Amino acid sequence: MKTNELIDFLATGAGPAPRWVEARRLLPMMALGVVASAAGALAIFGPIPAEIFATPAPWIKFAYAGGLAAAAAWLAARLGRPVPRTRAPLRALLLVLMAMGLLALGALLVTPAGERPAFVLGHSWSRCPVNVLALSLPALAGALWALRGLAPTRPRAAGLAAGLLAGALGALGYSLACTELSPAFVAVWYSLGIALAGILGAALGPWALRW
Amino acid sequence: MTTQRSPMDDFEAKLQSLWGRAQAGDEAAYREALSCLAERLRSFLRRRMQSLPDELEDLVQETLLAIHLQRGTYDPTVPVSRWALAIARYKLIDLWRRRGRREALHEPFDDLAERDQPAVREEPMAQRDLTTLLAELPKAQQHAIALIKLEGLSIAEASQRTGISASALKVQVHRGIKRLAELVRRTG
Repeated sequence: MKTNELIDFLATGAGPAPRWVEARRLLPMMALGVVASAAGALAIFGPIPAEIFATPAPWIKFAYAGGLAAAAAWLAARLGRPVPRTRAPLRALLLVLMAMGLLALGALLVTPAGERPAFVLGHSWSRCPVNVLALSLPALAGALWALRGLAPTRPRAAGLAAGLLAGALGALGYSLACTELSPAFVAVWYSLGIALAGILGAALGPWALRW
Repeated sequence: MTTQRSPMDDFEAKLQSLWGRAQAGDEAAYREALSCLAERLRSFLRRRMQSLPDELEDLVQETLLAIHLQRGTYDPTVPVSRWALAIARYKLIDLWRRRGRREALHEPFDDLAERDQPAVREEPMAQRDLTTLLAELPKAQQHAIALIKLEGLSIAEASQRTGISASALKVQVHRGIKRLAELVRRTG
């Protein structure tokens, strides 16, 4: 086939370029991901008692996971473009991490020295990261699928962003089932679970994001 | 004193304005922008594919298909040719990967500047045939593509003639081209 014929073929009736393609691909998958992780958390681990919602703990988790999800989604959307500009979303991601870190540090400092290990480890530190990772898997599949339909030219970085996004959505769902109260616990173990999902995404990226 | 404008700057400025109109839906501008880009892609890929000269035009066409399918991901703060060449580079790496990385090890032997490369006289042509590829698409996609892309009907006209809704037709055309791009990639 002649290249001019192909150009004619492509241009005929092409209409305007589609708009908001990143949002249109990512947002439905994020919605599915968060529903899957919430449903999974409630079905497998059971909901937290209603009284806990009177404490700041679940709200801190929602805010942290939600903030990370938003920043990671922004980053993933940018990495879905052939010449990605990542500075602003990376800054947002860093800002959320720093805010959580400072909150955890502040809470730790006002805790008596003898109670600090328990404050960080809680009663479920060894299960939390694995649970977050497990709950993030549907969202990871969805996010990778969404990115594959865009044009990521840096598949490992795009996979990492998809993984962080999925991890944050997994953490959001897990917040409904996690009875830990300490911000330091969230800063360490939630973040570890989200990071594991990010590593998994980065490992899968070059394989899953071919287009 | 005026600053000297190179031919490259003029090319970019022209392409940028064509592309802006094309993105807004100007078909003639889109056709011309794709022609400019094809030339740019050809010279970019030619010097990187000296070991695979027969496949140069195939990859130019694969890249054009990807550009068309992904034009929604164009970021207006990035020069069009930079965006297009990023896609071409990705497609080139993808080709190397499919070839088992052998070619990736070959540095271009005589790294001539793009303008020193021998000009190709005949009309650039790939090894595949559009009609043959189209025949492999599902019937509904073939039908929509035949009406809109080959007969040149508007979406509204095609919708009226077939009784299929405009949005369904658009989806069929888009899916068809996507499928076509996959076929092109697989046979490459």
